[in-house]
Amino acid sequence: MSTNDDSQGVSQSAKPSTQRGASQWAVAWRRFKRNKAGLAGLFIVLFFVFIALTSPFLAPYPPRSFESLYQGEAGEAPSFKHPFGTSKAGLDVYSEVLHGTAGDMYVGVGATALAVAIGLVIGALAGYSRGGMSDILLMVSQIFYTIPLLPIILLAARVFLIIVAQGFGLTLILILLGVFGWATISFIVRGEILRVRELEFVQASRSLGASRNRLIFRHIVPNILTPVIVTSTLMIAGNILTEVVISFLGFGDVNTSTWGITIQEGITYMRTEWWTTLFPGLATLFAVLGFNLLGDGLSDALNPRLRD
Amino acid sequence: MTENAKPLLEIRNLVKHFPIYSRGILLKKQVGFVHAIDDVSLHIDAGENLGLVGESGCGKTTLGKTLMYLEEPDSGEEVFSGLNIFEAFRKSDAKVMHDVRHGIQMVFQNPYTSLDPRMTVFDILSEPYQIHKHVPRNEWKRRVYELLRMVNLEEYHAERYPHEFSGGQRQRIAIARALAVDPKLIVADEPVSSLDVSIRAQILNLLTDLQKKKGISYLYISHDLSSVRQITNRVAVMYLGKIFETAKTDSLFEKPLNPYTIALLSAIPVPDPEHQRERIILPGEVPSAVNPPSGCRFHPRCPYATELCAREEPKLREIVSGHLSACHYSEKFL
Amino acid sequence: MTTRERLLDVKGLKTYFFTEAGVVKAVDGIDFHIGRDEAVGLVGESGSGKTVMSLSVMRIVPKPGRIVGGSITFEGEDLLKKSDEEMRRIRGRKIGMTFQDPTSSLDPLFTIGDQLSEVIREHNRAISKSEALEQTTKLLEMVRISEPGLRVKNYPHELSGGMKQRIAIAKALAAGPSLLFADEPTTNLDVTVQAQVLELIKDLREKNRMSLVMITHDMGIVAEMTQLVQVLYAGMVAEVAETHSLFKKPQHPYTEALLQAVPRIDQRRDLRVIPGNIPNLINPPSGCRFHPRCPYAKQICIDKVPPLEETDRGHLSSCHFWRTLDLQGA
Repeated sequence: MSTNDDSQGVSQSAKPSTQRGASQWAVAWRRFKRNKAGLAGLFIVLFFVFIALTSPFLAPYPPRSFESLYQGEAGEAPSFKHPFGTSKAGLDVYSEVLHGTAGDMYVGVGATALAVAIGLVIGALAGYSRGGMSDILLMVSQIFYTIPLLPIILLAARVFLIIVAQGFGLTLILILLGVFGWATISFIVRGEILRVRELEFVQASRSLGASRNRLIFRHIVPNILTPVIVTSTLMIAGNILTEVVISFLGFGDVNTSTWGITIQEGITYMRTEWWTTLFPGLATLFAVLGFNLLGDGLSDALNPRLRD
Repeated sequence: MTENAKPLLEIRNLVKHFPIYSRGILLKKQVGFVHAIDDVSLHIDAGENLGLVGESGCGKTTLGKTLMYLEEPDSGEEVFSGLNIFEAFRKSDAKVMHDVRHGIQMVFQNPYTSLDPRMTVFDILSEPYQIHKHVPRNEWKRRVYELLRMVNLEEYHAERYPHEFSGGQRQRIAIARALAVDPKLIVADEPVSSLDVSIRAQILNLLTDLQKKKGISYLYISHDLSSVRQITNRVAVMYLGKIFETAKTDSLFEKPLNPYTIALLSAIPVPDPEHQRERIILPGEVPSAVNPPSGCRFHPRCPYATELCAREEPKLREIVSGHLSACHYSEKFL
Repeated sequence: MTTRERLLDVKGLKTYFFTEAGVVKAVDGIDFHIGRDEAVGLVGESGSGKTVMSLSVMRIVPKPGRIVGGSITFEGEDLLKKSDEEMRRIRGRKIGMTFQDPTSSLDPLFTIGDQLSEVIREHNRAISKSEALEQTTKLLEMVRISEPGLRVKNYPHELSGGMKQRIAIAKALAAGPSLLFADEPTTNLDVTVQAQVLELIKDLREKNRMSLVMITHDMGIVAEMTQLVQVLYAGMVAEVAETHSLFKKPQHPYTEALLQAVPRIDQRRDLRVIPGNIPNLINPPSGCRFHPRCPYAKQICIDKVPPLEETDRGHLSSCHFWRTLDLQGA
């Protein structure tokens, strides 16, 4: 006895079609599109990514170029030639902001990627294994979580300077941010795995004879990605901000182009040459805002409670 | 069901306890056990539907899982199709483990979490073939369509995702998945409890049809005795990790021989305003399975309990042919 | 329906939910009455509108829901015209409600004693703390909680499901309402505990001469606890009748199907399969909402919404063919 077609989902069609149904990603994307704030965040982020990728071509001056000083144009207010003005030391602020975009995207996204990679592995092991191993990994995560990030980085910067006699560059900041930031991700991953592990569809695959690897990678991991994605997005914003703070406090590498460095250079003269701090400051503001809006939008779109 | 044929599945003296820990800062200490299953023996014949009933905490879900080695038993034996299951799993005997994963399947209670939301119905139903590789890829589509037809779904449903289906349909997909490996026994754990009343009959009838058509045996775990009455051939009643009574379905419902069963049956409202009956209201609640009462576990709530019941635990014994009960005074209820 | 003094009179109630996916017409034109000291069953499956109806009467419909039409009259007064403050005084004092999950009616942060006393003092400002505690203890005795003196100090999470439900009932009755909505009070409970709670509700109703609306999908509970039944389907009324008449000879195809689809513990019989599914309430079927699943459906059922009419047996039925159909009971 056949039943009437009775999809209860949002799609109302009673047409028997052989095309693939709407996956959860497709449903989430539809929902995301309706969220204006999230879309705004997405555009801002894409804009910054674009700038970061094309900065070598867009910037009139190469990174850390003091040419303006030699041309006697240092310390000038925004003009046609220098849209964001020039710093007292002779940097074209517009170019520096563009190069800084690349620098901060590199640090922000890179550090987050590293943190997620480490956090996923440790969190997955902590969540899936039982007994001693799980407890040890949890403790390790807790230790790393409580280590204060900023003092460590500032300390490392000083030590590096003393030992190697030069600033440590963006890559080292990236590594440090990643290595000390993975704990949040691992907690989330562990918690989600503990939850999903006991769900019946995992038990069902087990009862079909699925191997442990298949269970973890085919069933569990795809179902825990949502909070990881949202947290990562917000983490990028956090890492960018941290970089700016580090550089602002004077612990950054003066040979690199980042927003923080530029702000730091202009802070002494903020009263008179306000443009040196304002424009990189605005860039930071919008980048962080963009990632936050995107993260919120993703969170709403992927939130299962809104599902019909 | 001939008496002489060996049963399809036989469980002997199964014990499963869950340890309880008290957590310190670094270490944890075990402080007790939950007596989920305490020395349970039962059997299921080929083509038979055995009902397993009881209230929360009686251990019926744990029994279903342990039977399939989704939980590790503490002690006891299980023989399935002539194979010694627990021993084989302990020794990691790959062949036997494979046979068990093909021979026994489970249908779960919650249709909203028993299907992987990231997979299409096609992926879900072809997963056994992906895992065991015993069916060539070009055969998968045909098989999946056949499975869908068996549970009264359409071929085009294969390309959809679980969230596009209703609860009843999801449950049918879950049943189709269980059928994909051609099992001899299906453990159905409260398969209709989460479904609307008007949908339940669809699923219950489907299970019975499959039983007739393919000779599948069932362990039908449920707290809903009315549905148990409809579809099972025999019933076992559990309380606090023990089997209290087991008999042919009609015998159990018409002439129960255990006070707990009697109270259980009398508690259920009948959809008939004319129906008159004596209602036994049990005092108190089901006690905790961490510290079960001494002697007969039911004695603190039993209206017929005597001093003997508090002292000595009654054994599950045959009162009348095919009808077993664990009570010192079962003969009284004949 | 006899014209007894109507305690609650709901006419043409419409409550819609304005969601992202569309407008869910959860309650789409429902009439409901209950008199003093009456026990009425409100029967339906998920999506029938039974819970939303009771939430509408209490005016606690959660967003994005809203009452968009109809009237609700309680003790002669129009509830839809009441202010928030006035409704607060009615909730608990005049109309009480219990929910399927007792955990949601009990605050996990306060002891049982505190919560019950609070309700008592809320509706009787003059009473002192110690008097309120006395009444609380009496309430717990009334719902058959053993050692009530000790229980008042317990927190909800320390108690079992059955106890929590009984306390939730006590909380609903603390201020002595004349009408109680019991929404699936026993669905989450074990069978033997369910029996306890149902007996308790029966006793309380008799002792306090309280009216009871029993919201359930369980036909057995309906048969035991009610004198009148209202069957809802997809936000509309299917049938209204006196309980024993409904079971003996239903006059709506949905009622018939429901009675025959339900397994019984006292006999083995073939279960009637109702094809299809509960309809989508954003785009419900045209005409009679049950028509896609009804074995007796004809063209008029698709075209025209059937009116709710009084039948020869004193039922109210919204079926075009109640006159000609010979439907079977349980």
